[in-house]
Amino acid sequence: MLPRTLQLTAVAKRSALLGIFFFFSSLFALHGQQPAARTVTDELGRQMTVPGELKRVVSLAPSITEIIFALGKENLLKGVTRFSDFPPAAKKLPQVGSYVHLDLEKIVALKPDLCIGIKDGNPIAVVRKLEHLGIPVYAVDPRDLNAILETIVQVGALLGAEQKAHAIVSHMRARVGRVKSLVATSPRKPRVFFQIGVSPIVSAGTQTYIHELIVMAGGRNLAEGPIPYPRYSREQVLGLSPDVMIITSMARGASFERVKKQWSKWPSIPAVRNNRILLMDSNVCDRPTPRLIDGLERVAEAIHPDLYRKKP
Amino acid sequence: MKPRKPHILRRICIISTLLLMVLGIIMLLGISVGSTGTNIKETLFSLMGVEKADTMLETIIWRIRLPRVFLATLVGAALSLGGLVFQALLRNPLAEPYILGISSGSGIGAILGILGGLSPFPGVSLAAFAGSMATLSLLLFMTSGKTMLKKNVLLLSGVMVNAFCAAFIMFLISITQDDRLHNIIFWLMGDLSMADLPQVWLLAAVVIPSAVLIFCLSNTMNLFLMGRELAQTMGVNIKFITATLLVATSIMVSATVAACGPIGFVGLVIPHLLRLIVGPDHRVLVPACLLGGSAYVVLCDILARTLPEQGEMPAGVITAMIGAPLFIILLKKSGS
Amino acid sequence: MKSSVKATSIHAAYGPRLVLQDVSFSIARGEFFIVIGPNGSGKTTLLKILSAITPFQSGSLEIVGTSMEKYSRKSLARIMALVPQSVPEDLPFTVRELILMARSPRMGLLGLEGDRDIQLAEEAMAFTGVEPLADRKMDQLSGGERQRAFIARAICQEPQIILLDEPTAALDLAHQVRIMDLMEKLRMEKGLTIVMVSHDINLAAMYGNRLMLLKKGQIVRIGLPGEVLTFKTLEEAYECPLLVDESPLGNFQRVTLVPQKFIDGGVPSKARKESG
Repeated sequence: MLPRTLQLTAVAKRSALLGIFFFFSSLFALHGQQPAARTVTDELGRQMTVPGELKRVVSLAPSITEIIFALGKENLLKGVTRFSDFPPAAKKLPQVGSYVHLDLEKIVALKPDLCIGIKDGNPIAVVRKLEHLGIPVYAVDPRDLNAILETIVQVGALLGAEQKAHAIVSHMRARVGRVKSLVATSPRKPRVFFQIGVSPIVSAGTQTYIHELIVMAGGRNLAEGPIPYPRYSREQVLGLSPDVMIITSMARGASFERVKKQWSKWPSIPAVRNNRILLMDSNVCDRPTPRLIDGLERVAEAIHPDLYRKKP
Repeated sequence: MKPRKPHILRRICIISTLLLMVLGIIMLLGISVGSTGTNIKETLFSLMGVEKADTMLETIIWRIRLPRVFLATLVGAALSLGGLVFQALLRNPLAEPYILGISSGSGIGAILGILGGLSPFPGVSLAAFAGSMATLSLLLFMTSGKTMLKKNVLLLSGVMVNAFCAAFIMFLISITQDDRLHNIIFWLMGDLSMADLPQVWLLAAVVIPSAVLIFCLSNTMNLFLMGRELAQTMGVNIKFITATLLVATSIMVSATVAACGPIGFVGLVIPHLLRLIVGPDHRVLVPACLLGGSAYVVLCDILARTLPEQGEMPAGVITAMIGAPLFIILLKKSGS
Repeated sequence: MKSSVKATSIHAAYGPRLVLQDVSFSIARGEFFIVIGPNGSGKTTLLKILSAITPFQSGSLEIVGTSMEKYSRKSLARIMALVPQSVPEDLPFTVRELILMARSPRMGLLGLEGDRDIQLAEEAMAFTGVEPLADRKMDQLSGGERQRAFIARAICQEPQIILLDEPTAALDLAHQVRIMDLMEKLRMEKGLTIVMVSHDINLAAMYGNRLMLLKKGQIVRIGLPGEVLTFKTLEEAYECPLLVDESPLGNFQRVTLVPQKFIDGGVPSKARKESG
């Protein structure tokens, strides 16, 4: 049996140790306190846990970058992919490789809470690897215009900009409605050939945004069909006899002139005869962003110039 | 008198140690260098367990760069060894690991896998492996029997099979009219960036036993060079050894191509380069190719990651850009 | 005493074509046995059968008293060494490295040479006179030097029997004799059995203890040179006029080819008398 003084000392020591232990744990507890993490479900039905308050987001596609800027949440954006060129401010953000060849190291170095990517766009292997490294990847699936609207709403909810998201979507819907009612007044449905590739000649089939735009703009997409990007020979285009030809900007304006000149050798094409060959910025007709409606309006104007000239 | 250690063993040990040191340094460089910068000191400390770097760098070092460097090491070893073995088996200096239809066969498998929507791992990899095994079997079936051992029959048949498969691949590419085209072209260029530790362990499980087997047969490969008949009179069972080496090496190379796509100019150049340095004895060449080939591919991968301002080049581009001129220099040197 | 080689009724065929028919012979230990005959007589095939490179269809073959079937390749390699007719010219090895490779049948998996192996290689090189070439690469040697290197290799294999396939075919005169003398020295000093295929009848006459004359896969005559090298047997085998007389160098045959002009103009009387 230990003498009393020693026993007291032992008790004191134990209490001191306990006290220190509790002190530090409470420190840790306080430090660890954050807005509760939440579980979200992305558009592919995958569930993931994200911090309650998102601070660092990396966009894995130029269209996602555009949407985030449109929602006014660019302050959360810490990294973008290479061709994120709209709005111009996006070009100043750190780049994490390209949409199809993401740079894992750079993404990890940015310490994101969350990445937002596109189904079928980003390679699944990289997405999986990011998740293994503990970085959740929220996938969206903007298959068509309605899905794009849904994506904007979802991303808005994710980033805490629900109001802005709904405002954007309503505005987009309104403009679509205006275009639809305008083109409904025309009896004609012009035959449209939308050329996105020069050599070989490539157009857009049914499963593309371009097809939707043409249909909504009151035209007939001559390349409609199951193949998303079908190829045509010059002969076949002659045979299709388009009333309107829309060519997207490949690189610079100069090549458009060359392409137009090449087509002008075939005056049997109604579009050539009536000088209805137009250039269109590809970024507004193939990206799932609010600017797609700009594309819609321009396509409508290209297909039904008469309807638009009537406007005061 | 105590017997002196046989001097060939001494040579093997010295050369292996030297090359191992070179490989070690290059591997360290590979793990220290990346698109976010160079951190040699932190990497060294982290690897040695002395001091952990901050979490982000730890993740980058251990989970992104390390698997990639390991993969590059295995790929370099397998391809160099593959080239060496085929050059000995076919007694032709132009032989390289893809010569028996492996690259084009796996290409067809991979493309069909990509078109079929399989995931890169294990789907496309397995399809690529199956493809190369299929072309190999076809080749062996076509040349079976006595003709197989005739000098250039295997080689020529392999060239023909490769040419046919390459044409088929071009056909598949021409009819693909959507984004999968991108994935296909990427695969065909060879890609080390999707390295994952499970993949690496799987590849190691194939490459390491094959390498050991080949090392055990290295003296036999020396005897092979003396000609089929003479080798037989020295105790070599030509048919059995040829078949064994063929199958083991083909499986090793097929697994490599399935993991990272066809990376060229390693299996052709490295054996010749090392032969110029360490001589024609396979007992020295096998470990030399293993270590030297690994170092080469890790180095090329480092260059592929750091040379371009944006993004990275496919490793196969660097191996060709360095390998081809190197090969020509070698030719000139050996001619003189 | 056990014979070195004992062949009984060997039949060999390549598909439908018969190459050797009912060939039987035996070779005693330490004998210099030379096989001669025209092209296509099956001489080379016979050598390949003896070294187990080519299989034979029927008959039996015993090497040093044990049936061929009982030998593994490695165990046969310890008894028999081959010097082939044509040797690859582009061997990247040095002479010493080539000769050391002959030790493989007696070494472990990796063939790591020990002191004794290196010693034996040196001796083989000394025996054939190729020591000055020891560190020269094989592709830098002349024909005669290369042949001697391959003979050194065969010696280093420590066989009991050495097989040689037309070793003098591509050599110039000086080397031809040198090689044959080397074989004789091997036989006398080391007791090796020499089995040689040769197209040179005169060399065969000068060196062979026993000869075997083949034609179209069958034995025409086998025995002492005096028995085999007669006008009758040689004409039957080679189907051309030949003159056989005694060499001025000693009591062995000398065989001379007879060009057409001598037949038309008449064979000189002296020769006609002797050939009977």
